[in-house]
Amino acid sequence: MTEEKKPEERKKRRTATEAAASIGPMVKAMITDVQKAREEGKPIAFTFIACAYDEIIRAMDIVPSWVENYAGICGAKRDAQRFLERAESLNFSRSLCTYALCGLGFDSWREELGEMPPDAPWGGQVKPTVMLGSGQILCDPRNKWFQAAQHYMPDVPVYDVSLPYPAYADDYDFHETEGYYVKHIVEQLRGLIDFLEEQTGHKMDWARLEELVDLVDRTYDLIVDTYDLRRAIPTPMGTGDAMNTMVPIQFMMATQQAYDFFTNLNAELKDKIARKEGVIEDEKYRLIWGGGLPSWFALGDFNYFNSKGAVFPVETTYRTLESTRDFDIDLKKIKDPLEHIAWRWVKTWTYWYDKARKRPGSHPDVERLIQYIEDFKIDGIVMHEAFSCRSWHVGLIWQLNHLKKIYRDMPSLILESDIIDISSYNEADTRARIDAFIDTLEAVKDR
Amino acid sequence: MSAENSTGGLAIVDKYYQGYGSRARELKKQGKQIMGYLCAFTPVEIITAAGFVPFRIKGDVNEPITKADTEMETIVCPLVRSWFDMSLKGKYEFLDGLVISHACDSMARSKDIWKYTLGLPYFHFIDTSHAIDDSSLDFFVSILGTFRKSLGGFIGQEISDESLAQAIRVYNENRQRIWDLYELRKSDPPLLSGAEMTRVLVAAMGLPVQESIKLLEGVITEVKQRQPAVGAKLPRIMVVGAEVDDAAFIELIEDAGASVVTDDLCPGGREYRAFVKTEGDPVAAIAERYLRGIMCGRSYVEQKGTYPEYLEQRFGHIARAAKEYNVDGIVLYIYKYCDPFGFEVPAMKSYLEAQGIQVLYLEDEYSMSTVGRLRTRIQAFLEMLGTR
Repeated sequence: MTEEKKPEERKKRRTATEAAASIGPMVKAMITDVQKAREEGKPIAFTFIACAYDEIIRAMDIVPSWVENYAGICGAKRDAQRFLERAESLNFSRSLCTYALCGLGFDSWREELGEMPPDAPWGGQVKPTVMLGSGQILCDPRNKWFQAAQHYMPDVPVYDVSLPYPAYADDYDFHETEGYYVKHIVEQLRGLIDFLEEQTGHKMDWARLEELVDLVDRTYDLIVDTYDLRRAIPTPMGTGDAMNTMVPIQFMMATQQAYDFFTNLNAELKDKIARKEGVIEDEKYRLIWGGGLPSWFALGDFNYFNSKGAVFPVETTYRTLESTRDFDIDLKKIKDPLEHIAWRWVKTWTYWYDKARKRPGSHPDVERLIQYIEDFKIDGIVMHEAFSCRSWHVGLIWQLNHLKKIYRDMPSLILESDIIDISSYNEADTRARIDAFIDTLEAVKDR
Repeated sequence: MSAENSTGGLAIVDKYYQGYGSRARELKKQGKQIMGYLCAFTPVEIITAAGFVPFRIKGDVNEPITKADTEMETIVCPLVRSWFDMSLKGKYEFLDGLVISHACDSMARSKDIWKYTLGLPYFHFIDTSHAIDDSSLDFFVSILGTFRKSLGGFIGQEISDESLAQAIRVYNENRQRIWDLYELRKSDPPLLSGAEMTRVLVAAMGLPVQESIKLLEGVITEVKQRQPAVGAKLPRIMVVGAEVDDAAFIELIEDAGASVVTDDLCPGGREYRAFVKTEGDPVAAIAERYLRGIMCGRSYVEQKGTYPEYLEQRFGHIARAAKEYNVDGIVLYIYKYCDPFGFEVPAMKSYLEAQGIQVLYLEDEYSMSTVGRLRTRIQAFLEMLGTR
């Protein structure tokens, strides 16, 4: 690596919880485990978060390599630019998903060299055995990224799992469509298992799968219970920490380690609440991180909010789960593990639909904001528009406009940057906007 | 003869192209119901069978996007933003409803912005699968069944198999007329310019299908009467990309000294290549045509065979069209923020170049403000083709 390409030295970010502080080593161990698996000849799958195949991969003893995680690490270490530039040199537009561009830049470079790119963050992302894409309503790059990656790894097969969920609609009852969504998802997951058995030689352990399905249900419920503890005033944990604790949710689901992590976090939060220990001593403004993935290279901005007396007791980002106890069906009665996964998927993504139908003109995304605003006693909303990601960042402006229309006007701020492309970020401008937002919050409080 | 001094089909094309939406507005005044839609993945047969006039939303490269930015992020593909901007500015005030298909993130993720901001009497989102395997096709049949039921509920009447079958026949006929017109571009020089063809396609997508057929027949008759031009033969270009609903870019290429003789675009070669089967269940036939017939970057084609064979599966139709139309070079024209096509570029370009086809890749923003930069790149490409 040339001198000018070295990532900028950064101070370690302050976390409120010990659990969040423990995440860094866990992630590093996860990356090392994948590298070790490669050396041992174990099957490795490139995987995406929120794809409903966690239990399947674990039950088949296939090692997941979370590509969004590795891109995020490059971003957090402020070392993504050289991989983004390499992808651009291959004719990928810089306006595309930068997670994908980082991964494509890295993988193509590794394949060209026949070894890891120089100074690869945390030893690098190894070549997988298979790549598991996903076609669904969530994100185009999930079915395009691995297809594009095959151009540099033509011997690595791809399986694309279709994982749709019903759209929120006024012109028909979405409940009437749930059955055929579930049927389709089950067929897709069966296809995935057939593919993995054929490509890796590993057979599905159906008894293990059933155990893991139950473990995921319990982990979902535990996470919801744990995050609900953050309603306390002062809140014992903020979104800055939640951007760490998303790791067991997104990358370790269907493992005992994830369950244990949240058991410990739950205990830690209860302890803090009992001692009235908050993220900050003098909590002036309670905010919701109401949409958008974070800038991984600028998580210190959460500390900057804290320095102004603002905390984030709740966020919508990375809460891709709901309490299974609150579903309108009893999941425990669904014994077939694939059907169970499919119903959990559909019920999770449609969780806010019936609630939204009860409020005239509402919409699930807005209804969720309203519920969190009330439950967590929120004073203002912060969102982040990452330029390279349409999946999670289109509709933010509209949600704020609609919230004002059907609920009430609230101070809001939409930050603009990217998930990992640091060239889109200006710290001075960002902090000036945060300052102005804090002034607004202050003015509203004084009214 | 150019469209400017035509009194036949091309003159009507010009009228409807310049005044896009004028016919739908007239029909609305006459009591017809107009159903707006985005993109080629909307099954217009079902809309027509329900008694609506389907009307495709179009953008305008000359109109700066202003109003849209108050509701929709600028990271949405500029084409979709332009469509939304035109809609907000009242260009399509005659619409009774809107149907959006899950073609790409820019459309799918903005669906609620469209729905709640425009507040039209009817709105439906078609959750079109990305995958095209058997399970996805069965799923898509169910999705279209829901759409059929929803639309039937809106009009207070079930949409019959007979009306669907009739709509299928008439749209197939429309597609055939378009291909007849494409045939007239095979001669060298072509009898119809690329810009004229784009104007025809755009004008047609704003008309009831029966009127579109009549218009196409008029254009075919007129173009067939043309005498082949004499003089130096120009490089023959194919344009490949997402949706091009404005002739400006095609004119730019042709003004630089080339003939655009075919394309893999919407509206255009990609969209009209596939026909709907006329036997069996009409909804199943429609589902198969839309899911598997339209070879678009937004769909996931399952790999069969080796990787080179996979490239042939995905892009072979483009190479075959290039050969069929005796193309000298391909312009790969991709909008900024277009994930489905943006991720295709390296693989598609290398595949086409391996077939001996020269490729120019351009990224653009659906705006006339970029014309100068594009012109320079196109001129250099044409010069390079000329020296080969």
